[in-house]
Amino acid sequence: MSGFSTFLGKEFTEIRKTWRIWVIPGMLVFFAITSPIIAQVTPALLGSMAKSQPGMVVKIPSPTWRDAYAQYLKSLSQMVLIAVVIAGAGAVSGERSSGTAILTLTKPLSRAGFVMAKIVSQAGLLVAATIVSSAVCLGVTVGLFGAAPLEPLLVAVSIWTIDALLLTIVMTLFSAGFASRGASAGAGLGFWFLTLLISIWPPANRYSFVGLISASGRALGSQPVDALWPVATALIAGAACALAAIRVFETREL
Amino acid sequence: MSDAPAIEITRLVKTFGNAVALDGVDLAVPEGSVFGFLGPNGAGKTTALRILTGLARPTAGAARILGQDVSSAGNAVRSRIGYLPDVPGFYPWMTAMELVEFAGRLFAIAPATLRERAESLLEMAGLSDVRSKVGGFSRGMKQRLGIAQALINAPSVLLLDEPTSALDPIGRREVLEMIASLRGRTTVFFSTHILADVERVCDRVAILDRGRVVANAPIAELKQRAAVDRLVIDVDGDPATLISELELRPWLRSVDRKGESMTLAVSDLKSAQRELPAAIAAAGLGLKRLEAAEVSLEDMFVELVHRAEQ
Repeated sequence: MSGFSTFLGKEFTEIRKTWRIWVIPGMLVFFAITSPIIAQVTPALLGSMAKSQPGMVVKIPSPTWRDAYAQYLKSLSQMVLIAVVIAGAGAVSGERSSGTAILTLTKPLSRAGFVMAKIVSQAGLLVAATIVSSAVCLGVTVGLFGAAPLEPLLVAVSIWTIDALLLTIVMTLFSAGFASRGASAGAGLGFWFLTLLISIWPPANRYSFVGLISASGRALGSQPVDALWPVATALIAGAACALAAIRVFETREL
Repeated sequence: MSDAPAIEITRLVKTFGNAVALDGVDLAVPEGSVFGFLGPNGAGKTTALRILTGLARPTAGAARILGQDVSSAGNAVRSRIGYLPDVPGFYPWMTAMELVEFAGRLFAIAPATLRERAESLLEMAGLSDVRSKVGGFSRGMKQRLGIAQALINAPSVLLLDEPTSALDPIGRREVLEMIASLRGRTTVFFSTHILADVERVCDRVAILDRGRVVANAPIAELKQRAAVDRLVIDVDGDPATLISELELRPWLRSVDRKGESMTLAVSDLKSAQRELPAAIAAAGLGLKRLEAAEVSLEDMFVELVHRAEQ
């Protein structure tokens, strides 16, 4: 994969110097700060609404760190994954349409190196931003609720991160396969909805990567979570999609 | 310098569905030469260059650069070529220096050499004082930056697709002088539809029309070949009757009349030179001038493309 490290360096510089530094990291930090706050004020909000309705009595238990983490995970599993799809849609197709793929691929940079640098840079950004935002979420939760354990958040967010990384690789595959950013975004959203739909079927949820989201939610419960099958199948699917992305891009004419 | 051609294209075919972009192209570009690849829009020039750079694959036939098949050699070829596409794409957030240095790092050029070479190339491109981002560059500035990045690895073969099309006259002259200065050291293969550029710097030219090479020779030879086919005649009266009579002759291909002067394109020069004076006299005209025409590259280009269409 000649030229890989140079191109990867360009990718990280591009993240630092363009809008890419703000989108996913910005969203993650925003949800890390707001989720514990929302968890804390939600009972008070519902209570005040109930008071305005004569005869209605709403009994809501006091919020805990678990509610703050659950709110944070809910935001990650919905809004952030959609952002991963949109941001990843132009990873390869954007370089093709702007002509910059021609600039780099007529030099000693292999197409495999090009695709892998795209995957590694996006994954690096996602993992780094998730670590920072989760630390922020932990800090805000401790600040609001007094005490919050690290382990449930760590396990839940780790499982979610594997799901987000798989989606990043799938988006790179779609971006290598489709000429336009819009088409790959459409395919990515279709894939995401399909996995949500399939996850309703219990065997698929237990034995395949579509069960990652529910496994990350269960990690916040009091029982230990078994996510071996979803994690193992996600790793296999991720490797297969990365190889497919390379193969697809190698067969494309520019 | 070896006798083997720097670029060798053999029976190259490229189709897109039913459309034939290249139809059995054969070409050999001598090492160290400045080679013009001429053709009207849609002739297949960019397709040929995309195949040479490995961006596209041939449907049939082969293309070799410095003895290596471009379809399979990969980095072995790419490390020795420089390429400027017709519409170069750059990262808009980079400065010119950042872009040229990024291009150089892809070739694994040592940092000290790279800095020195980048500064020198940006100086040549007239961009050494420009500190703004590439996204704000004019098309001409981008074209000059494209040439600078294409030269960062001191390539053995430089492939340029319409390198002067977006430049003003001064920029064009500078680029052509730069191309001419590479003669003997680097093989320059550039596609263009600007005939004056080819005439100014090229040693040899190939003319492509509808995916076929209709001519491939040194410019002087092509001009000579075209010149003997043309005769200029001045007569002292209305040549209408004479033209009607000449159109019956089997050796006459076409007549271009301007007043009492005519330029004849002929297929058999000797027969034309023998029969013309008698025909002029028979038409009651006096002969003022009869000579072989000076042919410009433009005349030759139009003639060859017209012939290929027929």
